[in-house]
Amino acid sequence: MEASEVATRRVCVANELGLHARPAARLAREAQKFSSRITLFCQNQEVDAKSILDILTLALGPGCNVEIRAQGEDAHGALEHLEQLFLNRFEEVR
Amino acid sequence: MARIILQGIPVSTGIAVGKAFFLNRGRASHVPKQTVPMDGLNQEVRRLEQAFRQALKELEHIQTRVPPELMEHARIIDSHIMMLQDPKLLESSTGYVRKMQLNAEWALDKSVEDIESVFQSIEDAYIRERIQDVRLVAGRVQQHLLGAPGPGINAIHSRVILLAHDLSPADTVELEVSKIMAFATVTGGKTSHSGILARALQIPAIVGVSDLEDSIQDGRLVILDGLQGRIIVEPDEEELSSFTDLKHQFENYQARITRTSHLPAETIDGYQVKVFANIELLEEVSSVLSNGGEGVGLYRTEYSYLNRVTLPDEEQLLEEYQDLASIMSPSKVVLRTLDVGADKFISHFGPLDEANPALGLRAVRFCLHHKELFRVQLRAILRASVYENISLMFPMVSGLDELRRVKAFFAGIQAELKSQGLKYNPAMPVGIMIELPSAMLTADILAAEVDFFSIGTNDLIQYSLGIDRTNPHVSYLYQPLHPALVRMIKYAVDSGHQAGIKVSLCGEMAADPYCIPVLMGMQVDCLSMNPQAIPVVKHILRQTSMEDCKSLLKQILASRTVDQNNKLVKDSIFRRHPHELMFYSSLLDEGY
Repeated sequence: MEASEVATRRVCVANELGLHARPAARLAREAQKFSSRITLFCQNQEVDAKSILDILTLALGPGCNVEIRAQGEDAHGALEHLEQLFLNRFEEVR
Repeated sequence: MARIILQGIPVSTGIAVGKAFFLNRGRASHVPKQTVPMDGLNQEVRRLEQAFRQALKELEHIQTRVPPELMEHARIIDSHIMMLQDPKLLESSTGYVRKMQLNAEWALDKSVEDIESVFQSIEDAYIRERIQDVRLVAGRVQQHLLGAPGPGINAIHSRVILLAHDLSPADTVELEVSKIMAFATVTGGKTSHSGILARALQIPAIVGVSDLEDSIQDGRLVILDGLQGRIIVEPDEEELSSFTDLKHQFENYQARITRTSHLPAETIDGYQVKVFANIELLEEVSSVLSNGGEGVGLYRTEYSYLNRVTLPDEEQLLEEYQDLASIMSPSKVVLRTLDVGADKFISHFGPLDEANPALGLRAVRFCLHHKELFRVQLRAILRASVYENISLMFPMVSGLDELRRVKAFFAGIQAELKSQGLKYNPAMPVGIMIELPSAMLTADILAAEVDFFSIGTNDLIQYSLGIDRTNPHVSYLYQPLHPALVRMIKYAVDSGHQAGIKVSLCGEMAADPYCIPVLMGMQVDCLSMNPQAIPVVKHILRQTSMEDCKSLLKQILASRTVDQNNKLVKDSIFRRHPHELMFYSSLLDEGY
């Protein structure tokens, strides 16, 4: 895809306690594996998906809808991979 | 030093008497503010980067030594590692060094303050409290900047009551549990990691004790009262002996209620009530049995749908339900059909775009909307019902019309199985959850067409009082003994009994020491609760008389305010169990 194009995907936070420290860490770690610029967009705020502190400040509670935005060569792979994490609740039990 | 009392938030019950030891004293002390000359700035930034690297190395080392029983902590340590590696924290600190020409310690402190101010505006209390993690991580870096850390965990030689600013998961990995009788921390709230740890280790703990560092010197004798959330420094003789007594009483009490939890819950005047468990995993069955649970009053079937991308098929569900029924046999097992929507959703369908999910497409409404999903689950439950200890119940039924729609659909599935020659129990009891005010007030109508009621008080309270309990602005209105609720619950119980069906109650109220006598007065047939609560509840029931409960209920029904109701139940418990009152925690205390 064109490097300038921004690919997006809408996901929902299924973890009962929201995106707290552990899932946020997981998300940041996985996002860092991609070279694309990846951000999370929610309620008019956009933050760096590779920064755990940024993710935490979004305060994504259970049931929140978030848009993942990726821009770069591996943008599609990144969206695919990160969406799975949300769907699997970051492998947390609840 | 004179005797003083410090107050905090109790997070793990129990009492300990012993010598205090303060871990890493001075970790959070005030950092110096110094100007750095222009030609020293690069050096100061390198010092900062090095401290980050050292802290990271330290954490990575600790992470490799996490014992298996603390695996949960390894994951928290992992998030701390991510914070150390987060460019934000380091970049903002080095930015301050260069911009303000100030020392690394101060710059780091300022960066954390900035992050704190962002976190303070977060509404979700659980995420807001994660600022503690940021502080812990920064504290570790700070220690390397300042050099000379205070005595570490390895300096503990005899059994102590551990005091600390905060116990990081990394600290707890290094702790030798055999050396810690109890602990208290300056920071932390009800959901902090240290509380979870203390309960897992079964040692008393208090968090949020300010003045801890200035008020207690190492080696001082202290009493840590994890029931009231107090620390008494240098207690007098009298206090020492009374707390030693209390400690024995508490330990005896715990031993006693555990020992007798397999006995039936029979009041002193011979009235029996069933005590069942609410569970969501097959693995929990062992804790149901070991705690004296007489059956499963609520099996939440959501779990096998929630943790996956595809839907489970009929055979998988059948196997799960059969396993549950056969392990619990001959005790009863009540399967509740899928209760998703609101805060839980199934990946397969994705989140619904609803402005108000709690009032949206959830529970039985969701199932009636997704008929194929409902069909698969009902087929599995019906086929499992050859185990005759299985009952079925539908959640969130709003009235007779909806009940009839559900029952018609259910009858269709029965016919389908019959035509395929598949076996099921045609006499399986079918009940409904009563958790909407509309179902409560039409309980007399509904009772004629079901085999049992199960009153779900958690949702009922929220829907009746119009409050979201997790919303701190209104959580004080979470009032289980609101006259409206008492009247509604009584009406539903009476309606059930008039129709000759059993009525059980499966919300948190069922396990609340103060609410139990009121529910007993209504002659509820069964109380269902989390397995850990069973021993206390059975213990309370066995010391109660139906006569007392009935007269208490009469007073409550005549009262007009929540305050008076709460006072009535507390006085009544106090009259009957004055010595155990301090061991109870109750919903009625929430938000007060």
